[in-house]
Amino acid sequence: MEPIIEIKNLTKQYENGRGIKNINLEISEGDIFGFLGPNGAGKTTAMKLMTGLIRPDYGDVKIFGHSITEDYERAMAKVGCLIEIAEAYSYLSAFDNLKQLARFYPDVDYQRIDEVLELTGMSKYKHEKPKKFSLGMKQRLGLAAAILSRPKVVILDEPLNGLDVEGMIDIRKLIQKLADEEKTTFFISSHLIHDVELTCNRIGVIYNGEILNVESTKTILRNYATLENYFVSEVERNGRLSSSVG
Amino acid sequence: MAVFQAALVNELEKLYKKKKALAAFLLSLAVIVIGQIIIVGVRSGFGLRTAGSMEFPMLVLSVVVNTILPLFTALVTIDSFSGEFAHNNMRITLTRPVSRLKIFAAKIAAISLFILATLLLLLIFSIIAGFVFNTNSATLDSLVRTVFSYIVSLFPMVVLALGIVLLTNLLKSGISVFFVSILIFLGLKVLGVFFSQYSSILMTTQLDWYNLFLMKSFPLAKIIRQFLIMLGSSVMLFTAGFYLFDKKEL
Amino acid sequence: MKLTKKTTMVLSFTLGAMLLATTALADIAAKSGYDQLKDALKVTAAQCSNNLSSFTMDISYNVKDNGKTLSSMNQTEKCDRTKSAREETTSEQTISGNNYSNQTYFDKTTYIRLSNDDPTYYVTEYTQERKDMAFSDPFKNNNADDVEKIADAIVGNLKDNVVVTENPDGSKVLSGSLSEVQIPSLINALASFEMKQRFNGQDGQQDNVPHLSKDVFVKTIDGTAKVNKDGVMESILGSAVVSGKDEQGTVHDITIEVLAKLTDVNSTVVTKPDLSGKKVVKNVVKNENSVPEISNPQEFMGKFKNDILIMKDGKFVKVGERIIEITQIDQTSATGRYYEVYKPGFDQYATTKRDFSFNATKSKDKNSPEYKFRTDAGINKAFFLDEHSGKIYLNESTTFSEGGIILDSTFSPDFE
Repeated sequence: MEPIIEIKNLTKQYENGRGIKNINLEISEGDIFGFLGPNGAGKTTAMKLMTGLIRPDYGDVKIFGHSITEDYERAMAKVGCLIEIAEAYSYLSAFDNLKQLARFYPDVDYQRIDEVLELTGMSKYKHEKPKKFSLGMKQRLGLAAAILSRPKVVILDEPLNGLDVEGMIDIRKLIQKLADEEKTTFFISSHLIHDVELTCNRIGVIYNGEILNVESTKTILRNYATLENYFVSEVERNGRLSSSVG
Repeated sequence: MAVFQAALVNELEKLYKKKKALAAFLLSLAVIVIGQIIIVGVRSGFGLRTAGSMEFPMLVLSVVVNTILPLFTALVTIDSFSGEFAHNNMRITLTRPVSRLKIFAAKIAAISLFILATLLLLLIFSIIAGFVFNTNSATLDSLVRTVFSYIVSLFPMVVLALGIVLLTNLLKSGISVFFVSILIFLGLKVLGVFFSQYSSILMTTQLDWYNLFLMKSFPLAKIIRQFLIMLGSSVMLFTAGFYLFDKKEL
Repeated sequence: MKLTKKTTMVLSFTLGAMLLATTALADIAAKSGYDQLKDALKVTAAQCSNNLSSFTMDISYNVKDNGKTLSSMNQTEKCDRTKSAREETTSEQTISGNNYSNQTYFDKTTYIRLSNDDPTYYVTEYTQERKDMAFSDPFKNNNADDVEKIADAIVGNLKDNVVVTENPDGSKVLSGSLSEVQIPSLINALASFEMKQRFNGQDGQQDNVPHLSKDVFVKTIDGTAKVNKDGVMESILGSAVVSGKDEQGTVHDITIEVLAKLTDVNSTVVTKPDLSGKKVVKNVVKNENSVPEISNPQEFMGKFKNDILIMKDGKFVKVGERIIEITQIDQTSATGRYYEVYKPGFDQYATTKRDFSFNATKSKDKNSPEYKFRTDAGINKAFFLDEHSGKIYLNESTTFSEGGIILDSTFSPDFE
């Protein structure tokens, strides 16, 4: 089966030495892919590259076979995303913010806007301006924006940031629901191991800008007691490897 | 094209909702009111005609193209670029299925429409004010020329906006863009005085190009040359601005 | 063919740059009518001052109110560079209705003036030859460049209003016309204000002069210049119409026309006026700057006086004399005495009678005829020698008159 997201030799180095090196990944339909790694490992860089916010030094990302660098519009046609902190125009109401985005998709109408506001629990703040929103509310609005166009692929960077426990549960349910009902593929980054374990069915570990391993959650949990153990062992194995090389 | 339209509608909606455009419109009306008061004052105080009904719109235009219009253009342009970069708002549109070229073009189109709207507003109200308060001096010819002068003033203003767009993509903070723009504006004005033979390539002199349309002998060759100069600079500024905008990492 | 983004960008930038560069060059190369006008003026001025051996320049202006002449002036200037001589005839009808005319003649050693109200020829002869009196090029002036820049800036966008029509023989007609809409409002307002002041019905203007009080504005400005095939301007005509209403609401169109013509190139003859049998007043000076310089202060040795007058019963009455007696004088200093003598019977006016000696030093400025001194009472005073009229002017710090005495600071030589 054709992979939905295909990342090839993706490299982006910043002047401070951080960045990502030679990342190769394939995400298939129905995956809820967890991108796991500590702060500064390169998760956000990878996701910004995937959504075209920054340009790679080498390599490319293809979504549904369309290159992000060359055919951005088609590549992003069925993608919804939320990168870093959810941003919204502070002078437009929640509804108007979504209305702005809806214009880019011919089949998204006002009813759909109400629907996603309902899904993310933002209905009652529909006509309020994000100026007064808490971080959690902004995050919910960002998620609403990400799923607005009924995307086939949703790329979420730390989606649970700033959410309370209730919010986390809501969002996790929402992800599950979309994956089940609409066969939406997810690419979620997080530094919260527990959260990734609960949400995702495939996990990639990124460390120091490099992918260490990609494995299905089931396989991992068969071999390790917890995801945390797996993560630690992967990092250590890699550390030994690189130190033995060095 | 549908995507570009969506982007353009978005930009216009933002302009409208931010009340900046409204403020600009109100200020424009204030200019007309103040101008008219001064004229009535000079007329009754000194017995000068100052401006007939058709000269009043031209007087207003000659003042605004060198003052508030470039100012509004700068403010709106800086807000649309620097402002959105600073608030990370640019990301909202940039992760949608729309190419950066279309967003860039939509922003510039929205700014141009804003300038055009301001010009038309000034035109309509100054014509009305001119007819109500001033000695009637209108002829069909002068009316047509007046309308033309206002509309053609859009071109140099767009060139100016493109120049500022380039600056917003070069400099980080909107405030520095604003001050650099003002310095360059004044600098070009001074250059225009000292090197008047080369002044046709300076943006600040181009702002007054509507005068060419007022002449009895319609200087077609000069108008075409001036238009091509503006077109050339627009293409260059647009490309340079877009190059930077496209490279921008957010 | 699909162009990559980069190629497209480079291509469009280059195209824009080329478009800009070529049209900008074309634009700079295409001289506006205004530039051609400036060139013609420069060429004409240079030709007149350097190349043409002689020419006649006619300058005239007239001001009309609804077609009726209010004032006019005609000036004919004949220049002969070979003889370095110039002759000017001016006749003028002023706005207050007076007529003037005068005639002047210059050459290196002579200046002759005759005006209509006096049949006397005033002749000044210079012992030193003066510099070329024919015509000097105004564009060679030190400030000409700056003035040109300022003019360019003021003209600004109006530059393109000058239209050039070229004739088959190589001559050109430059013309321009501005109506109210095209005249910048500020210039219009200032010009209108100036005109309104001119025609305000005051300053003893006659009844035939309209009094503009309302709705004053510059209606049109027109100009035409003819340039011959050598680039010399043969004529230039400028006219402006200022419109306004008087108190009765009558509209007045004031037309101002200025015409300058260059004729009789290389065939103008300048003739020195024939003074034989005419009434002549002659004056000889070293050069045109020589008036204030005192060549020989010794001329002023001796007594100078004036009359002390009072006003009594509507008549001037002499009550005494003021006397300056210079006992020693040279280029650096002067000594002498000032005193007043009152006639018998007028002693009551002598209360302010003054009498003092002075020791004056001449001002450092070589050309200044000023001698400064300090009185015993500590007051700074000065006197000036006027060689031209043979008088001494006493500069006193007090200017008020006491006891009805009329002040007079001019002293004439006393030959009694």
